[in-house]
Amino acid sequence: MIRLRDVYLELSSAAGPVNILRGVDLQVDAGETVAMVGPSGAGKSSLMMVVGGLERATKGGVEVAGRNLAKLDEDGLATFRRDNVGIVFQGFHLIPTMTALENVALTLEFAGADNAFERAAEALRHVGLDHRLKHYPAQLSGGEQQRVAVARAFVGKPKLLLADEPTGNLDGATGRAIMDLLFSLVSNSGATLLLITHDEALAHRCRRVVHIADGRIASDNLLAA
Amino acid sequence: MKSWRLTLAIARRELRSGLAGFRIFLACLALGVAAIAAIGSFSRAVEEGLRADARLILGGDLELRVAQRGASDEQKKYLESLGQLAEIIELRTMAHRPTGSAADPSLIQLKAVDGDYPLFGGLVLQPAISPSEALSQRDGIYGAAVEDLVLRRLNAKLGDRLTIGDAEFEIRAVIMREPDRGLNVFAIGPRVMIALDAVPATGLLQPGSLMSYNYMLALKPGGDYRAVEREIRQRYPDAGWRIRGIDQAGGSLRLWVDRLGSYLGLIGLAALLVGGVGVGNAIDSFLVERRRTIAALKCLGASGALVWRIYIAQLGLLSLLGVAIGLAIGAALPFVAAPLLAGILPVDARVDLYVKPLALAGLFGLLIALLFALWPLARARAEPAATLMRGDAVETRSRLRLVDYLAVGAVASIAVAAVVLSAAQRSVALWFVVGAIGTFIAFPLLARLVMAIAARIAHPRHPTLRLALANLHRPGAATVTVMLSLGLGLTMLVATALIESNLRTQVQQRIPVDAPALFFVDIQPGQMAEFDRIVAAAGGTGLERAPSLRGRITRIAGKPVNEVDIDPDARWAIDSDRGLTYAATPPAGSRVVEGQWWPEDYRGAPLVSFDANLAKSFGVKVGDTITVNLLGRDIEAHIANLRVIDWTSLALNFTFVFAPGTLEKAPQTWLATVKARGDAEEAVYRAVTSKFPNITVIRVKDALDAVSSMLANIGLAARLVAAISILAGLLVLGGAMAATQRRRVHDTVVMKVLGASRRRILETFVLEFAALGLVTAATACALGSLGAWLVVTKIMNMVWSFPISVALLTALGATAITLALGLMGAVGALRQRPLAILRNE
Repeated sequence: MIRLRDVYLELSSAAGPVNILRGVDLQVDAGETVAMVGPSGAGKSSLMMVVGGLERATKGGVEVAGRNLAKLDEDGLATFRRDNVGIVFQGFHLIPTMTALENVALTLEFAGADNAFERAAEALRHVGLDHRLKHYPAQLSGGEQQRVAVARAFVGKPKLLLADEPTGNLDGATGRAIMDLLFSLVSNSGATLLLITHDEALAHRCRRVVHIADGRIASDNLLAA
Repeated sequence: MKSWRLTLAIARRELRSGLAGFRIFLACLALGVAAIAAIGSFSRAVEEGLRADARLILGGDLELRVAQRGASDEQKKYLESLGQLAEIIELRTMAHRPTGSAADPSLIQLKAVDGDYPLFGGLVLQPAISPSEALSQRDGIYGAAVEDLVLRRLNAKLGDRLTIGDAEFEIRAVIMREPDRGLNVFAIGPRVMIALDAVPATGLLQPGSLMSYNYMLALKPGGDYRAVEREIRQRYPDAGWRIRGIDQAGGSLRLWVDRLGSYLGLIGLAALLVGGVGVGNAIDSFLVERRRTIAALKCLGASGALVWRIYIAQLGLLSLLGVAIGLAIGAALPFVAAPLLAGILPVDARVDLYVKPLALAGLFGLLIALLFALWPLARARAEPAATLMRGDAVETRSRLRLVDYLAVGAVASIAVAAVVLSAAQRSVALWFVVGAIGTFIAFPLLARLVMAIAARIAHPRHPTLRLALANLHRPGAATVTVMLSLGLGLTMLVATALIESNLRTQVQQRIPVDAPALFFVDIQPGQMAEFDRIVAAAGGTGLERAPSLRGRITRIAGKPVNEVDIDPDARWAIDSDRGLTYAATPPAGSRVVEGQWWPEDYRGAPLVSFDANLAKSFGVKVGDTITVNLLGRDIEAHIANLRVIDWTSLALNFTFVFAPGTLEKAPQTWLATVKARGDAEEAVYRAVTSKFPNITVIRVKDALDAVSSMLANIGLAARLVAAISILAGLLVLGGAMAATQRRRVHDTVVMKVLGASRRRILETFVLEFAALGLVTAATACALGSLGAWLVVTKIMNMVWSFPISVALLTALGATAITLALGLMGAVGALRQRPLAILRNE
């Protein structure tokens, strides 16, 4: 599903270029659940952005779901994400002026699906929010907002789910409920999961834990099932 | 006192964050204030110029003017005893090149002056010779000084000769400046100046000719012109003189400057109002950003009143800064504009720093800032701390107190009172206020209607279209702001453009197909038969004629005119001589609406048929009397009937038509109109001018061109000021777009994350802003047209026409502007790297 070969990412900043990723090699098979752990600033989120086609690698090969991302232009990458990737952010990133239903339907609409709103409503029902369809993000609690984000990430039946500290802005109980939901959806759909977390316990719910430090993979451990 | 010290201390700390968020606030306020201050200051500068040069402009301390006959020797002798006297005769006539020249004769305004003219200097000739050198008889021929236009029309140069009436003149100088020329708004003939002694030789002094005799009097040192004026009036109560003192110098120009300044000032005020929306938006965004601070202040024990004071103090300081910038620009602009307009204005504008117009502009600026600040401030105070902590996606509705409504109402009332009381024409200002309030209510209401419609339209299948429609009605959508900010200026532009276009249409296109092409003035009764024959031979048709006399209204319903309360819009009728005629049957192009027309063979006591509109302004009705002074004799006539006159028919018509039996014996000339098309027009023109040097010929198209060009100039001034409203609107719109740009960037990035292509995102924005622009333009067209229609049909009493091009141009312009601004933001949003945005959240 994911094949990264000697991936470098250099970003410019006011103080000069910053090397975020320094030669990352990673292979993830379809259906695997992978946790990425490491200190802040290690390059976890950047690596996820590269995998999701939101950031281009400065050097190296990035192949996701059988597509060489280097060969896709920006619109090609957008289509690639639409068809293959679901993303859940720590900050939810719902569009504040759209209702929960509209937020979830958006991906399907972009894909030209006929029954976008029915499927979006179904996805929201699946995450327990069928009573909140017409609510705007600001009218929802943090947990509810993240559930909308999860529904949005799964509604297009993506092959790959990227989750960047999805419980970082939530309290413990709500966070656990969200992760139960997320893992159950991954398991039911057979999607590949790439999860960034600081939470060791959460990381251990995945099959594999990759430790990132200073822009490189420091360790890569397969956990017992 | 202590609480205000605390208020100011906190306000000062708050202002440490700088003025970056207030650029639009300051720009909006400064622009509007600058426009009003500049217009006010310049009008005042022109008025001061009139006052300072009053003697030059009037040509004396006192001016006595009378039609058709000069003062008697005894009268002149008396006038000379009062000071230095200059005598002038003015009339409209034709100037010819001597035989053999290719140029046609040209209509001119002749001014014959005696050796004492000008009493106070100021006449500038080129070459720089004295008036007597230019005009006196030399080698048996008199000289003439002419305006440059005369040379061009007659294809002549200095040293050439021209013929006026029966006399020949040598062109010796070009008139560069004639201070007592006054405002010739409708002047269709350029000036030719000759010596008074040369007039008899022209043969133009015929009984009944339309000439005026002016006597300029320079009083002896210490002479009081008011006292002298009273003395003259007492001594010669029936002389029929119109006497003006220096306080009335440039009367018509002063009226024009006053009205034009007031009109442009109102349009400038509209710019300030549009800017007010920007001020309100800026305050709104500022207070939204300060929600956490306000919440924190409240949590720490600050009362709502303290919060209100803290922010009103900050906004007050910023408003003062914006107003000060505007005043500085507005005060400086006339210094720049005066040299540029020097050639156009007949007076030297005395540009200076005038306190009153600047104070008024400053007052308007502060009132508008306060008006637009009160609402957001009241909302911020009324919202509980808990609500202030919420995000801005959902509008929080909080209950405003009665006192908030009262405060807004009070400030609005003061602003309205200031606008109306400071205007030259209060009724126009009042209508402006009504229109402005109506527009201010209409645009947000219509915007909400558009939002409601967009929300209710069945979801289109096409996602781009659905997203664009949804963007129009989402919480925080730009619909209301865009429509209000751009709409107000556009409405103003559409209204001014339509009014100007209607005036032009009226002048140029509504001329009836069978309207006369030529007007003939001063035909002597003895010339009529020959005139008829020549006109017919040259191909002229439809000859109509009427006897023409000049008289001045001296009494209305038995009361002297200066004691009658006359509508200012009708004062022109008593300020100068009026044309009179007599007829047995009603003139064409008019309709009797009250009273009865007299029998054709009527020979009784004097009766008059009067203009119905003027009768209304004079407050007279059928049966009342009007007294007209004709050649020094008062004629009192009863109003037999009132007529509505259609002046646009261009048929011969008169305000006063006397019944037969009163005026036949008075000295008179005839007016005539002739229809002639194409070559016939030129043939008639040449035949009459070559045969009768004394007859003045006016081409209808020349007169219409003169009016059109004057309308074009006024229209340009109005459009320029309306453009300031659009500029203010753009500032407001730019500010509103900038305020929502963060949200737009975020939405764009999220859409990209979810797989939307750049094209789709752009298409969504294009559709959204195109729809907004079109709806705004359509609304502005509708409201602007309504305003223009009211002005054209109800105030100007003209036929309404609707040029579709104005509407289309507005629609296109508004859509283009909205699209351009919207897309600028969208392209900026598309350029953002997702990583930066998503990580920073």
